[in-house]
Order: sequence, then structure tokens, then C-alpha cells
Amino acid sequence: MGVKARAQALPGHEIGVDEQRGLSVDGLLPSTVMRPEDAEDAARGLRLCDLTPAAVVVWGGGTQMRLGAPPRRYDVAFSTERMTRLLEYEPADLTCRVEAGMRLHDLQATLREQGQRLPLDPPHPEQATVGGMVAANTNGPSRGRYGTVRDWVIGIAVAYTSGKVARAGGKVVKNVAGYDLMKLHIGALGTLGVVAEVNFKVQVRPEMEATLLAHFEAPAPALEVGLKLAHQYLAPATAIVQDGAGGRWDLAVKLEGYAREVQAAKDQAVRFVRDAGGAVGDAEPSPGFWDVARDWSTPADDEVVLRAIVPLAASPLLMAAVPPDARVLAQPASGVVDIRAPAPAATATLSHLRAAAGAEGQVVVVAAPVALKEGLNIWGPPPPGFPIMRALKQALDPNGILNPGRFVGGI
Amino acid sequence: MDAADRDRLLAQIRGVVGERYAFADAYEMRLYQYDASPETALPDIVVIPGTAKEVAQVVKLCAQSGVPITARSGASSLAGGTVPVEGGVVITFARMDRILEIDVDNLRAVVQPGVVNLALSQALKPQGYYYVPDPSSQGACTIGGNVATNAGGPHTLLYGVTVNHVTGLEVALANGELVQVGGRITAEAIGYDLTGVLVGSEGTMGVVTRIWVKIQPLPPVQKTLMAVYPDVATASNAVSAIVRTGILPAAIEMMDKLSIQAIEAASHAGYPLDAGAVLLLEVDGTPEVAEDLGERMARVCRENGASEVRVARNEAERQALWKGRKGAFSAMGRLSPDFYVMDGVVPRTRLPETLAKIDAISERTGFKICNVFHAGDGNLHPLVLFDAFKPGQYEAVLRIGDEILKLCADAGGSVTGEHGIGLEKRENIRYVFSDDDLEVMDRVRRVFDPQRRMNPGKVFPGKGLEPSEVPMPPGYPRRQPHAAVAAGEDVWV
Repeated sequence: MGVKARAQALPGHEIGVDEQRGLSVDGLLPSTVMRPEDAEDAARGLRLCDLTPAAVVVWGGGTQMRLGAPPRRYDVAFSTERMTRLLEYEPADLTCRVEAGMRLHDLQATLREQGQRLPLDPPHPEQATVGGMVAANTNGPSRGRYGTVRDWVIGIAVAYTSGKVARAGGKVVKNVAGYDLMKLHIGALGTLGVVAEVNFKVQVRPEMEATLLAHFEAPAPALEVGLKLAHQYLAPATAIVQDGAGGRWDLAVKLEGYAREVQAAKDQAVRFVRDAGGAVGDAEPSPGFWDVARDWSTPADDEVVLRAIVPLAASPLLMAAVPPDARVLAQPASGVVDIRAPAPAATATLSHLRAAAGAEGQVVVVAAPVALKEGLNIWGPPPPGFPIMRALKQALDPNGILNPGRFVGGI
Repeated sequence: MDAADRDRLLAQIRGVVGERYAFADAYEMRLYQYDASPETALPDIVVIPGTAKEVAQVVKLCAQSGVPITARSGASSLAGGTVPVEGGVVITFARMDRILEIDVDNLRAVVQPGVVNLALSQALKPQGYYYVPDPSSQGACTIGGNVATNAGGPHTLLYGVTVNHVTGLEVALANGELVQVGGRITAEAIGYDLTGVLVGSEGTMGVVTRIWVKIQPLPPVQKTLMAVYPDVATASNAVSAIVRTGILPAAIEMMDKLSIQAIEAASHAGYPLDAGAVLLLEVDGTPEVAEDLGERMARVCRENGASEVRVARNEAERQALWKGRKGAFSAMGRLSPDFYVMDGVVPRTRLPETLAKIDAISERTGFKICNVFHAGDGNLHPLVLFDAFKPGQYEAVLRIGDEILKLCADAGGSVTGEHGIGLEKRENIRYVFSDDDLEVMDRVRRVFDPQRRMNPGKVFPGKGLEPSEVPMPPGYPRRQPHAAVAAGEDVWV
């Protein structure tokens, strides 16, 4: 039996033409779709795919499907859309356990009812799933203050191609029993197993939040203020620097905390802005301002999105290397600089930025039109330790059916 | 290891590190047979390398001879993490104790594994920064050891544990290759997060030779309070009440009656001797809020049954309150010739019932059990008092420990919050993980160390794993796995 026939024979649902098109990845279409109902079911499904063998591309909300090299092969769309349950939530413990297919927005809504939140802000939370956020390690502008996915995941259940579900971590906020395999799956793009359940620690929502908008003639002083703020004890929840209207550079700062300290921190930020020659905006931010910033890295059709991460103090240098026709959103508190550049010049822009990022920095292609992907080195040169990464893949997905070819170095 | 093999390896190792820094005589070996746990085992050779390159060369020599390696520095492991149960070579970091770089601009420091935890924060203090994780043994334990165990400490409640503060590692792998994973940037390095996997792997994946850590500005004000309660249940409920208010304390520590007595006898921290439980609370903040938060927290403490709340008025008083807590374990010598410390975790809401059950165990067995612990995150440190010279007591205490860990696991918690599984809890790990879970972990371990020579006998159960069988679906013949990834090609033909 050929791969396609086998894949079609897998338990799942018939796939319509429209649906198939909706599940395309870099131009490839799946033969069938699987929608497991829980972790165990997911493991059984993966086992079938492994035996067939059928190449699996895992789907959550689909917001990060542009990330990675084009798959080498794609037979089964493996969707977590039926795995949406909140399994446990004990507000007094500030922890919860959810299935991977739950939309981040839905989780946040549940937490909000108890005055709590998960302080992660990846793009498109109304669509993005918890599992996708973990697998793609999607983070937003608040990473400078609150860290990234790895800082909030305390446990995980993963379905492997062996047909088994294995767990790591647990439900308590402090736990060093066994290996921290949560870290292995965060950002692994589903290449080692399918994240089926995630346990988070959460936090109490801050008493107050305030936003400060400021404008500068050049990017350097705006970044300098952002960096200076990152060195304060009450660092901003978010600080972003963007190229604004009329050639000016905008700095937006979100402060969170207890009411009195937020006010004091805002006053201090105003002083920093003025000392650096910037102008403090008098307008309040528009209602959706921070949502727009969060979703900013979503490209138009003729754009590539590049994400540079450099040591904090190196972001001015990196910014200086961004071509004038590209648009930028820099996060000075984390050294992350997102760049939306016109597609035609992507190769040149990428190599220019990689040179500027230097040995201690990195630049990843977050999204690009498929026609360009082949010519771009999506992940850059394999990092040191790559032979271990390849061996990990071999150990956990020996037949290489999970997202084949999408990850670093062809994993 | 037989004497001839040992002498041959010793000579090779001396060729790398010099005559002085590798030895094998029986007297010296005894100094390296123990850590802060009750277990002991003699190494065959001890090496004190001076550079990462030397470490890598020593590891390579051990690989060639198939000899186990146990890395050690402060040797303050309470779980037997550095006891060389299978003999072999102990690598100790007494000479690799330098802070290589303080990079304030990038909020990073780069250190060698033998740097004492507190020494880093002391070096950073003049510039207004510190390294956050602060295990109670921070005056003795090293950052290398902290990385191995993913160490915590009182202030991890607000700021996270070691793994949240480490962005890169240089590691000598089991084959002697030296690699760097992660580095100075935020922990979103390309590829699998090997830094995150290595932290907390208890030396079973490689020997860490260099560490990139985050540093952060010192809190402008730290407000420290002591609240006195009639019993641990009332104090536990007060902890939940504080968390509910939305105040995020930097630390919430609890000490029960017996601990208070030991601490007062040893360090005169000023804890009232007639108290049933004492909470030590700290809130970090800017001057604008610290005072207010301190008052709010004091109010919540009083409203929830505190008979007295004392606020440290200055740094000296603050240090005195902390001295009592951080010296709690050593103070136990005032009560008992020996003690056995546990490291269980329960969800915070399960603290009162868990403490009551521990109390019942103490009643039933006749062994006194003190409780000194991180109440804010539910990390318990029951200390079972005993006398090792009385026959049968140590064995009885081990059974009590086992029972306590089981009840922590059953309450939805864990068998270790910060000390590590080590040697001590390698059977207890089964309370929280199935053989299927452990089998995946073992597969990951073998990627790093196919021969299981790195700190052998730790983390994993002594008895073999028996993973469940997955039934074969009908019509699918068993296939041999392909080296799909290594070839970089499709496996389908």
C-alpha cells in the first residue's frame, strides 16, 4: 500500500478540498487529517502514523505555520482542535493544567475571572493555542520583564510516536524531580513529540498599568531609554521602539505593578525620555495599541519577518544594520528586534543582519513566502551542540515522521 | 577499579592537570566520599582541574577507560548528588572558582562552576546588582552545583529558580567534547533548549565548565516581617490569605515550634519561644510601595490569627531574622545528634493537611519532626531528628522519609523541590513518574551519555524500568527504525 492510501486509511475525518487547502503548509497539502480527543488518543494516532509511515504536521491555531523550513513531506494534518479542556485550575495555588488545543485567549479569560493571568503575550491569542505557543516558543513584547514560555510551564504531557504519553515536571511551582523535558519541547516545533497537555504557573494581575508614549528623532536614544528602563528595579512590562510616522522613532512603555510604584516609575521614565532629547507624547494610546504591537510580526504577502536576538546592549548596532525600506519593532529589554522587510531583498537583508548580530546573536526567518524559503537559510548555521539535537530527534522520533525538515539543520 | 587500572588512569590524568592536582591515596579519598547527605562512597581518583580544557581532557580519558565521573564542588548536596556510588573519578572545582566576567550592560555574569553562590552577589553588590537564586547554603554551595540541581532558595517564590536565571552553559560532554549551548542572549537560542535540559540534570549529562547567568538590579527596599502564630495550620491559612490579596511577597518562610526552639538556641534570631509557628515574610519594592506593602501584609497577618507581627526596622534586624532561617538546619544540632532533611512539595492549598499528616507520623513513630520551609511555594523541609548510633534509628527514619514523600506526591506535589533526586530519592521518583515517563528521560540521558557513566546511580531508580507495551494495531508489521534524521533524507521509498 502506498503512503497516501495508508494515510487516508488512518482513523480521522474525511478531508474536503477546502479544508485541505486550509491546512496547507508552504504549499504542501495533507492527504488526511487526524483530530485526537485527548493525550492518549493522540499517542495512538501518532503510533499509526509512525507504523505507516506517514509524515505528520501538527496543527494548533495555525498562527505560526510559516515558521520553519518547508516540510520535506506532509501526509497527515494532526490537529489538536478537539483537545480544548481546562483540566485543572486552583486559583489559590496559582497553577493550572490545560489541553494543548485550548486557545490562549480562552485560558486568559478563565484566569481573568479570578484576577489572574499568564503573563505571556504571543501574537493572535484569540486563535493561537496553548500547545502551539509552547511548541513554537512564541513570545511577545513582555518577555523582557516576564520571561518566555519556559519560565511559566511547570509540567507537560507529550504524545510520542512510540504510542505512549510521557509526562515531565508536575503541578507544583517548585519541582526538580526528573529531567526538565518541558524545556526540550518548548520551541521544538513538534519535532520530538506532540505537546498534549501543559501545566502553567500563573500570576495575580497587577494592581495598575500605565502606558507612556514618546518620540525621538533617531532610534539610538529611544533604545537607550528602553535599555536604561530595563536596568531599573521596576522594569517596564513592555518597552518597544518602532519606526513611526514622518521619520521619527516611537518608544512605547507599559508599566505594571502596585499603583504608587507605577506612577513613580512613569515619572522616572518621563525624565529619562527628556534627558535623552525625546518628546513625551500627550495622547493616551489608542485602545488596541498593545494588541497591534503584539501582533506586529504578522507579515504582509510580500514581506519576510526576521527576528534578531542580540545581547541587550547590542541592539543599537543591530538596528543600524536594518535597511531603510524595512520596518522595525525592537524590544530593548530583551535584545529582540523584529524586522519586516520587503521580500525581494530578503537574502541580502538576512546576511547583512546576521553579520551585524555577531557571534553572540542570532537571526531567524520567522515567516517568508514559500518561493523564497528554499533560498533562505531559515535558522542560520546549525548551533553548537547540533549533533546532540540530531541525536535527540533520533532517540524520540526514530522514523523522523514529526514535522520532517522544518527545524534547525533539517531536523 | 583495580589498582593497576587506577594507577594507569591516574598517571594519564596527572599528565593533564599536573602531579599535584590528581590523587588516589586512601586517606585523601575519604575526604571525598561524602556530601551533606548521610550516604558515603569512596572515589578511586580525585582531580582538581584548573581549566575547562583540562576538564574536557580528563573526561575524555575517563571515556577511553570507561570510568564513571562525578562532578562536585561545594558538596552541600542533601540528596547524595555528589557521592560517587560507583567509584571512578571525582572532578572537583575548587580551582575553577573565578567570576570570569560581570557584564552589567547586558545584565549578565559569566562564572566558573566553583564560584560560591553568595560570592557572585557580593561581587555584584557595589554596582547595585545581584544574582537572584539564594539557597540557604549560599555561603558554601557553588553555582555549578546550583545548575546541577536547579537550586531554589527562599526568594525563588517571586523570581524563579536557577533555570530561570541561566542563559548558557559550556559543557564537557561524556566523550570529552567541549560545547557551548545558549550564551549571553535571552534563553531563546536556536534549536532545542539544551541549556534548559542540562540545568537540573544532576550531572548525568555532562560536566558544566562555564555558566552564563542573568543578573538584576537589587531591590531598592526589602521589608521583612516576622508574624507569630499559635500553630502551623493558622500560619498556613495566613499564607493563602496573603496570596489572595494580590501582594506578591519575595519570600514566605515558615518555622514550627520545634525549629524555633533550635534556632533560638543557636542564633538568637529573636523568634518567640512560645510560638507555635513563625512566618518570615519579605516584600521587595521601590521606596514608594515597600512601606505600604509591609503594612498591608502585617494587617493580613494579624487578621488571620497572628498574635504578634514584628517588622525589621533596619538591615541589622532584617539580617537577624534571616540568619535564624538560613541557619535553621545547622541549628538542629541543638536538639539532636542527627537529622534527616526532606524536600517534598505540595500545592500551597494542601499545606495544612500535609503538615497535620506529618505530625501524625511523628506521633505514631515517636520521632520528632521539625518543619522549616518555603511556605509560599509549598516546598516542605521536614527534619526528622534521630541518633545514628542507636541501632535501627536510621532505617526507621528512612521509612518515615519515604512515607512523607509519598504523601506529598499523593497531594499532587513532588518528591523534591530543590535538592534533587540524587542518590537518596531515586526510588521515590516512582511516586511522581511512571516507567514510561522515566524511559523517555533515560532515552534523553543516553543521547548525552550512552554508557551512563556521568554521575551514575543518580536520578533514575536502581531497579530497571519496565515501560508499558503498546499494542500493535492490526495489519501493521513491526519495522526497524531508520536513521532518518542522520541521513537528512526521507525514510519513505
